[in-house]
Amino acid sequence: MTQRLRSASARIGAGFLILFSVCMAVFAVGPTSHDVRPGYGVDDVCWLSDYLPALKGTPGDTPIYVLRGGNPGGTLLLLGGTHANEIAGVMAATLFAERAVVTRGTVLVIPHANNSAARRNNGVFNATTPQWFELTRGSGEVRTFHYGDRRTQPEDQEPDSEVFVHEWSGLEFAGDEARNLNRNHPGDADGTLTAQISYALFALVEQESVDVLIDMHESSLTGRLANTLVSHPRAVDIAAFAILDLEMEGLHLKQEVSSDEFYGLSHREFGDRTDALPFLIESANPGQEASIENPDVVNDPRSPLSDRVYLQLRTIEAILTNHALLEGAATSIEIAFPFELSDLLGANLGVFLR
Amino acid sequence: MEGLPLRSNIHCNRRGEAAAVALHGKREMPMKHGRRTWGIAVLLILALGLAAVAQEEVQTESMTFTQPALITSIGQSAGAAQARVVALKAGLEATYMQRATLEDLEGSSTLIVVLGASSKGLGAAGVDIDGEITWATELFDKARELEIRIIAMHIEGGSRRGPSSDLTITTFAPLADYLIVKGSMPDTEWTADEAANGNADGLFTTIAGENEIPIAYIEATLGAVDVLIELFDIQPEG
Repeated sequence: MTQRLRSASARIGAGFLILFSVCMAVFAVGPTSHDVRPGYGVDDVCWLSDYLPALKGTPGDTPIYVLRGGNPGGTLLLLGGTHANEIAGVMAATLFAERAVVTRGTVLVIPHANNSAARRNNGVFNATTPQWFELTRGSGEVRTFHYGDRRTQPEDQEPDSEVFVHEWSGLEFAGDEARNLNRNHPGDADGTLTAQISYALFALVEQESVDVLIDMHESSLTGRLANTLVSHPRAVDIAAFAILDLEMEGLHLKQEVSSDEFYGLSHREFGDRTDALPFLIESANPGQEASIENPDVVNDPRSPLSDRVYLQLRTIEAILTNHALLEGAATSIEIAFPFELSDLLGANLGVFLR
Repeated sequence: MEGLPLRSNIHCNRRGEAAAVALHGKREMPMKHGRRTWGIAVLLILALGLAAVAQEEVQTESMTFTQPALITSIGQSAGAAQARVVALKAGLEATYMQRATLEDLEGSSTLIVVLGASSKGLGAAGVDIDGEITWATELFDKARELEIRIIAMHIEGGSRRGPSSDLTITTFAPLADYLIVKGSMPDTEWTADEAANGNADGLFTTIAGENEIPIAYIEATLGAVDVLIELFDIQPEG
């Protein structure tokens, strides 16, 4: 009898331990860490939760790298990883934090805007895409980076409904889009984790008086949006000037303007609701091509990662140059890299990282 | 800015060959009247020199566009915004209205339409492609009524081709007085990005030839700057 009781106690104890472990695993997931090595250009590292304390300790919190120039100017917010599987934006932001120097104005860099999405790749668009990718530095050191997901991890917020209604516009999307940061803007401080991330970004833009916001994305190789610069209508002239400048260098980008019928996207909502001029850049990622099995998301010769990062960074430069021309020096932002951006073309991206 | 005088273009037009090469731009003037006109012109030159000069002047005049211009989009793509930049760089006095009204035509001497459909742009304007065609037809009719000459541009390359874009092209390019297309000339290798070639299938060449419309081919959108400088005879400031 005593032995049976002991056995039962042991089973209960073991069950409790398992339950406790599972609960801890769920609740102890804070923000995912990434291999970002801030360079001399970074003056401060803040957190997104500084703009919405409710995010602190959640998988949605993420570092913000602050680069201040020696001369007064405007403020740029650079977003990578809104969709964490669109790695050219993540790596362009990472390279920016590691190597860029700001000479005028301030740049706020968030390499993993949706840090929950960055934790794991669930194979959206292509189930054979990797969980990680590697870049080799000049020293031979191999650096490893997450290949994340398009959306917030399902376990990080309440289960998806059949339909996600964008509460600000009434637009209806598929239920899993409730976890898509770029359908949740302008967010909700009391909403889902994804809505809170969006809300915090809006609070950041307002509190830091952001003048220019650039959200870096990727599409498939053959997608309609591959190699496109999208802007809010208020920024259409800057985008046009930038595109024509880039074309003269042989870099061909399509131009699109935010739709009046499609809400929840960064370029639409930040443009409508803040003073920032928002842009969205789309490079072409073979990992988002459903027909390619085990895509090489780094070295595919059709669109190597280094070329995609070049496209993102060179477009940012062109936007900033023409922003200064059209909006005046008071809000201009000047950046510099210790190498020619064109050196990235066809190169090993790893040698440019710290 | 480089580029041959307009009169030279007209001269080349009579041979039905590429007429001039500008910075990033190649022009072709299809035969407006064919070889027979060439022969007639030669006879006229031989017989009546002054009359031949007059003929040249008439043709030259026919290729001159006057300021101010109104720039608008047919298909509501972002190309019209790029055309505005082009006009600005050319020093052209122009007003940009993404979707111009008939009233906007008043006071304009030239209408510059940028062809190419965008579903986003059409959505923003609250119309579908059929509604766009109806509106643009009215715009062209009004321009004709006001004796406003029309330049049609397609400057967004192959990515701005497709059923809806092609509908704007096939409907309105034949009605223009001049075409500017970012795309390859016939029998000429396209060296830029293939996605930037708006004339890979020769659609614009066909339209220009069938309708006897002069056409300028450009390799980059900013190549249209020199074309506009020449067409509007814009003199450099200072």
